[in-house]
Amino acid sequence: MSKLMEWVDARLPITEMIKSQATEYPTPKNLNYWWNFGSLALFMLIVMIATGLFLAMHYKPDAKHAFDIVEHIMRDVNYGWLLRYLHANGATFFFIIIYVHILRGMYYGSYRAPREILWWIGVIIFFMMMGTGFLGYVLPWGQMSYWGAAVITNLITAVPVVGDELVVWVWGGFSVGDATLNRFYVLHFLLPLVIFALVIVHMWALHAVHSNNPTGIDIVDEEKDTLPFHPYFTIKDLYGMGVLLIIYCWFVFYAPNAFLEPDNYIPANPMQTPPHIVPEWYFLPFYAILRSIDFLGSFSKLAGVIAMVGAICVLFVLPFLDRSPVRSFRYRPLSKSLFWIFVANCIMLGWIGYNPADATAFDGALPLIILGRTGTAIYFGYFAMLFVVTAFNIEKPLPLPKSL
Amino acid sequence: MKFLKIVQVVVLAAAFLPQVVLASSGAAKPPPQDWGFKGAFGKFDNASIKRGAQVAVEVCMGCHSFKYIQFSSLEQFGFTESEIEALAETQGRTKKEKMISTMDPVSAKESFGLIPPDLSLMTKARKGYEDYVYGILTGYLNENEAALVEKVMEDEEVSSAEALELAPVLHLDAQHPEHIKHVLERIGNGDTFNKYFPGQFFAMPAPLADGAVEYADGTESSLKQLSHDVTAFMAWTAEPTLMERKALGFKVLLYLVIFTIMLYAVKRRIWAKVH
Repeated sequence: MSKLMEWVDARLPITEMIKSQATEYPTPKNLNYWWNFGSLALFMLIVMIATGLFLAMHYKPDAKHAFDIVEHIMRDVNYGWLLRYLHANGATFFFIIIYVHILRGMYYGSYRAPREILWWIGVIIFFMMMGTGFLGYVLPWGQMSYWGAAVITNLITAVPVVGDELVVWVWGGFSVGDATLNRFYVLHFLLPLVIFALVIVHMWALHAVHSNNPTGIDIVDEEKDTLPFHPYFTIKDLYGMGVLLIIYCWFVFYAPNAFLEPDNYIPANPMQTPPHIVPEWYFLPFYAILRSIDFLGSFSKLAGVIAMVGAICVLFVLPFLDRSPVRSFRYRPLSKSLFWIFVANCIMLGWIGYNPADATAFDGALPLIILGRTGTAIYFGYFAMLFVVTAFNIEKPLPLPKSL
Repeated sequence: MKFLKIVQVVVLAAAFLPQVVLASSGAAKPPPQDWGFKGAFGKFDNASIKRGAQVAVEVCMGCHSFKYIQFSSLEQFGFTESEIEALAETQGRTKKEKMISTMDPVSAKESFGLIPPDLSLMTKARKGYEDYVYGILTGYLNENEAALVEKVMEDEEVSSAEALELAPVLHLDAQHPEHIKHVLERIGNGDTFNKYFPGQFFAMPAPLADGAVEYADGTESSLKQLSHDVTAFMAWTAEPTLMERKALGFKVLLYLVIFTIMLYAVKRRIWAKVH
């Protein structure tokens, strides 16, 4: 055996690679459980690709048959119901994990130098995940699939000059239809593989600059501050995966439709608009931002789209907005408060996005649109305030520890 | 542990938020029923589903289909082969065929203004699920309620005392007598009122009534019993793999919980050297 490995290693240094990048890879010893979500995200990506592959073997992207085919998978394919519920709920858990992963990076300053490129690749992955999630939701061809696709693709018409022609090109016709479903299926199959490739680059960038840690300070003494990845973090990640699987499987087996809209069990009907179109929960905060810009007359649509896309793109410049000498918010009282306001605000925006645009709270006293505009202002305000409190030294960081 | 505390706060916040909103969609919420198949250990009640299948074939299938269900698959609820053949025959089908109504969609649209929807997935396709379907089936005005409506409308006026009396019956707001009057006028014109349908007026006239079906097993066929049984049947047509799913889920979760506890123990052991 060792002879064989020697032969291989002389040609492709696998043993050396595994040692330096996996088993003996030095990892900060003080990582807390929030650092589990990276490996959990990778795990979910693999679950999604695996279940998706088998679903693809039975699915047909045909507007006439897609809805029935999903029911065929649910009823006639062996364990088809399991594959579909794993895949549908998997999307939900993938997004929960990725949101925690992003927020962890924002709280502990993981986007700061020298990890900007690592962060940017992550933002691109997030972007592509949203695209993939949207495309996938169209495939069952229920009422929400159809009308969600109609609402979102209609945003393309906001593009100046070429918008109207562009949307026809995207649809492959003059409305969402068979051609749209077909191309969405192709793209839904392709994008996860691109995401997988980007995840490899993400990990490459991670291993070049190494993990951040809860204190945000650099590792001074590798001997004292780090532990080999194996067995310390392999077991910690495995334990985290066990916990994730318990919660995920509980939903898959006992509440598989908890995150699905009942309307999506009605076949797509282009002649009948559902009373209330809602996207999946993971788009809701961004959907609320889109709808909150309604006061600019004929520019509202374009401005809304720009605000929605900007809400994600602002993450790209985050490394330059944060000017603090300290990475981790653990030692930054002002940034920490801003962060938790930001998180609470995202949850509120999600709730606003879930409700109809003309809904009110507190017995009609508070139109949600007002709350939505405020929430949008707070969302972008976070990034502005973070710049202000750090660039003008308003925040006085607490003393940092000397080592991990 | 700080991690758990944060998770706790977030979960609590998320659970609290939706309760702030009060804007309702107008329709009354159907009262929750006791469905034996809910919950982790819930099971389908085969006798109830068997009765429900009889209601579905004899009543619902006059207009609606269950296009994903084959007649022969009813065998699992205790129908004999000849019983299934007889059921299929009432629709002019054989037991190998899917449960598709003989009413053609075009004439259905002429009579009711829309094509009666397929019922295979109905309990999953409406907010409120089984409770909603049961609510619709039992949500039509009964004889007493219809008589009350007639009595109030005799003088074509709705006094505030009458509004107060009618409001709980029709699930309408007593503060808006004009709205109640408008509803009563439509009822008088022959539109079908349903307490639990969003919009209150429903294309489908009351399909079930006491004694609408003579149960083969001798169970008394009250409206409530019929509605309960046929809803249980629809819950099965919507999710025929429910029992298989829950049985497998129990094994999977038991395995995962034990496995995760062991992983945690190993994790503690390995990390003991560091802490």
